[in-house]
Amino acid sequence: MKKHYLAALLALVLSLAIAAAGCGGDDEESSGTTGGGTSSGPAQAASCTGSIAAMGPYTGDAASIGQEQLDFTKYAVEKFNEDNGTDFKLEEVDTQLDPAQASTGAQRVVSNDDILGVLGPAGSQEVDAVGPIFTRENLAFISPSATDTKLTESGKYPTFFRDVPNDAAQGPTDAEFIADTLGAKTVWVIDDQSSYSTGLAESTTTALEDAGVTVKRESISQKTTDFSALVSRVKDADVAFLPWQLGSQAQTFGNQLAEQGSDAVIVGSDGLFTEDFSIKDSYVSSFAPDIKGIESSQELVQGYEAEFGKFSSTFGPPAYAATNALLTAIKQACDDAGGSPAREDIVDAMTNVDIEQSILGGPLKFDENGDPEGAKFYIFKVLGKGKYELQS
Amino acid sequence: MTEPTEPQAPKDERAPAAPKVGVDEWVAQYERRRQERAGPFAPLVRVWDLTPRPAWMAAVVLLAVVYGIFATNSGDLRIGINTILFALLALGLNVVVGWAGLLDLGYIAFYGFGAYVYAFVASEKFGVHLPTPAAVGVVIAATALLGLLLGLPSWRLLGDYLAIVTLFFAQIFLVVTTNGNRINVPGHDGPADITGGPNGIPGVDAFGLGSTEAVEVKTYYWIALGAFVLVAAALYLLNDSRTGRAWRALREDPLAAEAMTMPVNRLKLLAFMFGAATAGLTGSIFAAVQIGVFPQNFELFLLITIYAMVILGGAGSIGGVVIGAVTIGVTLEILRDADWGRIIFYVLLVSAVFVIVRPWRHVPWVVAAVVVFGVLLNQIAGAVWPRGVGRTPLGADGPLGGLVDDWVLLPERPGTIGSIAFVLLVLGALALTLSRGWPRVAGAVPLLYLGAFVWENKLIFQPSVTRFLLVGALLVFVMNLRPQGLMGTARVEIV
Amino acid sequence: MNWDFLVQQVVSGLTLGSMYALIALGYTMVYGILKLLNFAHGEVYMMGAFAGLGVMTALGGPDAPIVPVALMVLVMFLAGMSASAVLAMGLERFAYRRLRNAPRIAPLITALGASFFLQSTALLLFGARRRSYDSAEFIDLRGGIHWGPLNASPTRLLTISTTVTLMVLLTLLVSRTRLGKAMRAVSFDREAAAMMGIDVDRVIVATFAIGGILAGAAGVMFGLVYFSVYHLMGFTAGLKGFTAAVVGGIGNIPGAMLGGLLIGLAESFSAAYVSSTFMDLIVFSILIVVMLARPTGLLGRADIKKV
Repeated sequence: MKKHYLAALLALVLSLAIAAAGCGGDDEESSGTTGGGTSSGPAQAASCTGSIAAMGPYTGDAASIGQEQLDFTKYAVEKFNEDNGTDFKLEEVDTQLDPAQASTGAQRVVSNDDILGVLGPAGSQEVDAVGPIFTRENLAFISPSATDTKLTESGKYPTFFRDVPNDAAQGPTDAEFIADTLGAKTVWVIDDQSSYSTGLAESTTTALEDAGVTVKRESISQKTTDFSALVSRVKDADVAFLPWQLGSQAQTFGNQLAEQGSDAVIVGSDGLFTEDFSIKDSYVSSFAPDIKGIESSQELVQGYEAEFGKFSSTFGPPAYAATNALLTAIKQACDDAGGSPAREDIVDAMTNVDIEQSILGGPLKFDENGDPEGAKFYIFKVLGKGKYELQS
Repeated sequence: MTEPTEPQAPKDERAPAAPKVGVDEWVAQYERRRQERAGPFAPLVRVWDLTPRPAWMAAVVLLAVVYGIFATNSGDLRIGINTILFALLALGLNVVVGWAGLLDLGYIAFYGFGAYVYAFVASEKFGVHLPTPAAVGVVIAATALLGLLLGLPSWRLLGDYLAIVTLFFAQIFLVVTTNGNRINVPGHDGPADITGGPNGIPGVDAFGLGSTEAVEVKTYYWIALGAFVLVAAALYLLNDSRTGRAWRALREDPLAAEAMTMPVNRLKLLAFMFGAATAGLTGSIFAAVQIGVFPQNFELFLLITIYAMVILGGAGSIGGVVIGAVTIGVTLEILRDADWGRIIFYVLLVSAVFVIVRPWRHVPWVVAAVVVFGVLLNQIAGAVWPRGVGRTPLGADGPLGGLVDDWVLLPERPGTIGSIAFVLLVLGALALTLSRGWPRVAGAVPLLYLGAFVWENKLIFQPSVTRFLLVGALLVFVMNLRPQGLMGTARVEIV
Repeated sequence: MNWDFLVQQVVSGLTLGSMYALIALGYTMVYGILKLLNFAHGEVYMMGAFAGLGVMTALGGPDAPIVPVALMVLVMFLAGMSASAVLAMGLERFAYRRLRNAPRIAPLITALGASFFLQSTALLLFGARRRSYDSAEFIDLRGGIHWGPLNASPTRLLTISTTVTLMVLLTLLVSRTRLGKAMRAVSFDREAAAMMGIDVDRVIVATFAIGGILAGAAGVMFGLVYFSVYHLMGFTAGLKGFTAAVVGGIGNIPGAMLGGLLIGLAESFSAAYVSSTFMDLIVFSILIVVMLARPTGLLGRADIKKV
């Protein structure tokens, strides 16, 4: 008895599945995985509609970063639609900073014909994972936080853009701060094995060694929870430079450093600019200024905080600026094509984007590799959870 | 045996007291008893029994071909490709677990190894770009060799110990691939990057023959389907051969097989090699479709999913395993999307009614009761606490969305109450398994409604977690209900 | 020879080893009684850690506890232990009880399925982010012992001493009490024990409960020492604890204790002296080597099967 109703059930499910797949062929598909994305209707002739996909770590260890990026992206889409009378929609794709998930998400994004551009992914290793897929489909994607130099310099991903400076600039900036301002003589540079981290660790190490500082290198993985062995080797150094992506790991590291009685100062890169990392008197670098200090952006700041609440890191505003640039390009391509633009048109339009005053306080234009022109890094001192003081 | 003792037919607690028969007669009456037990489904069972297995397989393949011709959206095609890859993996695992009876918990390592080897020989990683036939050939050979090596411990280790060792091989594979970008090779300046570490090896070559490259997703669908047909045919022939029969003997009683002078060790190695080769081939297709390989692709969840497919279908039967693969694979893929996921969920809910409520004539009453319960609750809650139930459900304009809106309570902030409801649901379901008769039927009504509540308020927002939950729950449930799998045959020992 | 460094690694290794030993005991006892590899045991440990965190939050959180710190820590331990015990007993009753006589693969797959179900439940209920015990807020980590090369923070001392206490209690339980005797009898021969009038079901439930208590304690300890708890911690710690149980001889209680300490020390030393990149690999390879050379583990008895 049992065996056969179950077989009947299987048959039912199977036929449902085939029916679903067969009918689902020409319906639009929703590719949002965390909810909150609405599927867009069919594109109307001679009017600009479409969607963009936002990819990032909206859950998981880097969620504090991803959620802020997502909120600013949503805000940007709202404002752009308001100011320009358009009706662009946003699809969310959660990647948890994991290249495998990013790859799967990218495949779903490209199969959704309404998506004209992508905001993200956030991590450099994710860009490497989705790059080949987006390149093949000529889909423009702009990251507000992936800083690995090779992503633009290698030319492998001609549809990739970013509005934050790359690590070729971050390395020397951090090294200069460590060597000159902090006056360190021995520094441990520890990476977390992601491509972002190793790239940045390399460039900082080179710059530090050029400045005559003794550098020791080590590596941990993003899954490490116990740093005691490492800490006992690091504790006598002047500075520990941690270009990590997960603030919570750095927090544990800092606690264990204190536990073993060390006086080493922690200097982190942009990955540590999050509430998860709150070790007092440590430093973090950031690829964006604190926009609360920029006059021209105050109206946007107030509008954002009214709707989404307070924000504390520097990850959100670049997402706003990037979304703005992407939507500007889409609208431009739309107007030029008189209706539904092709994905290649948007890539072209992106190369011509020229925004006078972005939320980051300056103009936004892309060079021939996809890097923003004239961007630089800033160093902040950590005073507590979410409290920072600009150093340079 | 010196003294012939009267063999006793094993107890079948559901059959009426039948006259005692001899063993041979009892075995011969097996099909008649099956059809008796089937009750109203007897004609279906007869059709299933009488149709030769290859006919079923041909039907499934035909369906797949039709699907491939009519599906145009690359997302749908990818669902199809993933399902076919699952089916291939399930076939391979079936060889090791179902036919040879070896507990291999490290099967995913072969899959990953195949994918990585393909990435080594057909990408920019080492600058080697072998043409596809050569690359796939290398992959199969290398993976078979790995299967041979990993099969060697099976000579000394039995049962649980083999499971442990193979599980740890899979973990070692993960550790090596995740950390393989920092290997200190003597004589090499600085650490060598062999596997790309956690960032994997993106950008592998596409499949190609001569000068044409497979760029379209549809081409890969046909490639995967072709591989599946080849492997299924090969395994079917293998099953009927001496080796297949020897494996079955090995599975049933290794000691007796050895006493019958079967080369038990060689058979075990052969099983491992075949399973590994299948997995390796699948891995290379996977790498080409994803245009990259990452260590996170090969984690334990995938192993459990493949096991679920093999178990569901009943380990040992090719057809069963494929159906298990297609069902679970398609369900998992569909669950990624909220709208279709909802349909699947409600189908499952309805089938849960069938499982909980016996005899089946009560089912319509229970379903009606649940619907009425929900509507009433909604009305009462709407009057008393409107803010608590006002939210529009996710995908309200999709299928079933409108119905759900009026039937399920949808609080504004579902997070915490959804969590509490989830815990209550699990506890309630467990309690239900302990009860019988009227309390069970009565308890089923609010429990089913609670299930819908949890879905709409918690699970639907996190499809990826829901998939894990469902696979885990499915495994526990099916194993408890029918340890031999849904379509497997119960092992009967004649003592 | 850097003594400071060496002693530091020994302390680290013992701390880690204590937790692994506690988890290993759970695995080993259940295997001894049921011949079942309870893969979901890691999740039992994880839930204990979260229960401790929940109780701490209820008592005001790490920044502003409403009861004295010592009392709060004690309550956290009790909460973790009871939550884990309840969960373990639930697993036994609902997932494993019907499979006592099923073919080998059924309980294994069920255990894997249960493990996944619990991991996903934790993910659903608690989210994917790591939660922190923030023990640095209410325990001064710079305190503890500092005698010469020996440096141990209060949390590590607590871990090691609690583990020793629990192990002593367990040994007394198994060797001196009636329940312990029943446990030993059932693990030796289940059917004969049932025929001798021992309530096998009760013994099995008790075994699962004890394993759960130990795992829950280990979970809270982990949170206190290493701060971060998340839904996957059970998987990684479970694997190591499982390794420890197998290395020591699965089914053998002193073997689990020894195995746990060995694995903990091995992990610490390989992280310190070889490379933290490959410490997992080294630990797993130890297992493979032991399994191939001496399949019943270091202290295990050779299994003689009558055919």
